[in-house]
Amino acid sequence: MESEQKIQKIKAYIDKMPSLPITVSKIMEICNDPRTSPADLNKVISVDPVLMGKVMKLINSAYYGISQEVTSLVRAIIMLGINTVKNLALSTAVLGTLGSSKEFQALNMEGFWRHSLCTGVTAKLIAKRRKADQKTLEEYFIAGLLHDLGKIPINNKLLDEYLLTMRLADRDHTPLYKMEKESLGFDHAEIGGMIVNTWKLSQDIYNSVVYHHNPLAYTGEDKDILYSVVMANYFANAFEMGFAGDRYPEKVDPEIGRYLGITLDHLEDLEDQVHQEIEKARIFLKLTTATGASK
Amino acid sequence: MMKIRFWGVRGSIPCPGPTTVKYGGNTACIELRFGEADRIIIIDAGSGIRSLGNYMMQKDLPKGPIKTDLFLSHTHWDHIMGFPFFTPIFIPGSKINIYGPVTFEEEGLDKIIGDQLSYRYFPVKQSELSATITYNQLRECEMDLGDGIKLKTKYLNHPILCLGYRFEYEGKVFCTAYDTEPFRNLFPTDPEDPSYDEIAAVEGEKAAEEENRKFSQFIRDADLLVHDSQYTHKEYLESKLGWGHSSFEYAINSAHKGYVKKLILFHHDPLRTDPQLDTLLEEYREKTKGKTDLEIEMATEGTEIIL
Repeated sequence: MESEQKIQKIKAYIDKMPSLPITVSKIMEICNDPRTSPADLNKVISVDPVLMGKVMKLINSAYYGISQEVTSLVRAIIMLGINTVKNLALSTAVLGTLGSSKEFQALNMEGFWRHSLCTGVTAKLIAKRRKADQKTLEEYFIAGLLHDLGKIPINNKLLDEYLLTMRLADRDHTPLYKMEKESLGFDHAEIGGMIVNTWKLSQDIYNSVVYHHNPLAYTGEDKDILYSVVMANYFANAFEMGFAGDRYPEKVDPEIGRYLGITLDHLEDLEDQVHQEIEKARIFLKLTTATGASK
Repeated sequence: MMKIRFWGVRGSIPCPGPTTVKYGGNTACIELRFGEADRIIIIDAGSGIRSLGNYMMQKDLPKGPIKTDLFLSHTHWDHIMGFPFFTPIFIPGSKINIYGPVTFEEEGLDKIIGDQLSYRYFPVKQSELSATITYNQLRECEMDLGDGIKLKTKYLNHPILCLGYRFEYEGKVFCTAYDTEPFRNLFPTDPEDPSYDEIAAVEGEKAAEEENRKFSQFIRDADLLVHDSQYTHKEYLESKLGWGHSSFEYAINSAHKGYVKKLILFHHDPLRTDPQLDTLLEEYREKTKGKTDLEIEMATEGTEIIL
């Protein structure tokens, strides 16, 4: 299949991209429970990169016509009410039933989920350590949570090709994104960019999704979120929290650490906190495997 | 000149009877008339719209086919239940443009409103109506309604999407703010709470504060504000948090802080009797005496205000 044909296949998939099967049953449970608290709703959406992206998309869409961009889910729940956000989440979750764990073959679904969550949580903790404006912490989290979104359509629509790509990357000790480019003709950052554009998510999310393997190519002013996500992604890989297919990730350019003022020691300090947060989410979703390396 | 007449002022459900004779038992419906041309705009189709329809049949139909815009604050039943009984919809030549917000994933406005006219509920089907009816989903926006009438809408805080309306005409401002309650932080702020999350707690505080500030801006300098006041502050705090309705105290405070000239307390609880409303009005007027220039009234079915 030519690269262009593959892209077309992926584009069609993005239009009705389902939620992660792992979280669907919890979403249904939370959203169908009349006693659900806003905190529970926030929690369930926050642990699913696809759901989070879609809910943010809908909130900022022409449907609501809100002139100011809503960048946090907490704000969306307060502005539009718990019922509206429940409806948004449910409608995405219903789509989620179309996807099944069988589709997650190249990527291990739970490993992917852990990796995404770990990157989100770590990006947020890095921001906190750097004393970023409290109001923006959720944006760091969302950008981290969504950074690998582009892998989902590739995994689900080009399964055989992706399995092969991963094997080749393993064999050659090559970072996954480079092997994607070589064998598929595009990488997950590009596909992620397509999703972010389709969903019309914020510029910061776009930067983190598109430039997380090539942060120095980004020449804009808003480096803080992007660089934090790059660092958090490295941390998730290095500390083997979850696994999103990248067995030989590239080292982070020293410029990133310098800019952020964050060292590996700092990241090590975060390990316990990150584990705790993932563990909380795991219990919440009633997943059976314990937190830790699932490589 | 803007004329505002109340055809329904009650919340939740019509409650006719000896205890609601003075203020009225019909649910929300407000008629607006603009200028010499007497352009008619209606807000909400609660049970009060039945009498308004009959009045329009007598007053307006002899002059020509009825044309009107109907703005719905939201689609809860007490705000749409009168629609099948609004006689102009059965008259050939009537033209009715309906506007309102729709909560995500529900069906369109045409279904939500129009499906009340289906055989299981009513002897006439929507498709059998003689009037030309258009349905327009509305968002937070600004609109030029023509004839010098400007409209601004604002999302309020109610369990489903709900819009407040701000009409500006010849330098006068008429504003509705129902059904709504103050925006508040919905996330636990006590670190001991098992669901406590520091970011959500801080963001929640900020978001609520900003939404309340935007609301305040929305009603600012209104010559007339019609505000939800279903409960007393005590009732609200005791058991009505999150129900999407305000207290008398909150409505009065908001209006005062927003430099509103006249406040109409609206959406009376169905359990509230005439004598109780009399007493409450007296009490609040007494409490605010000398502290504000705000004029306070209880919404009363049949009354007319001219701006």
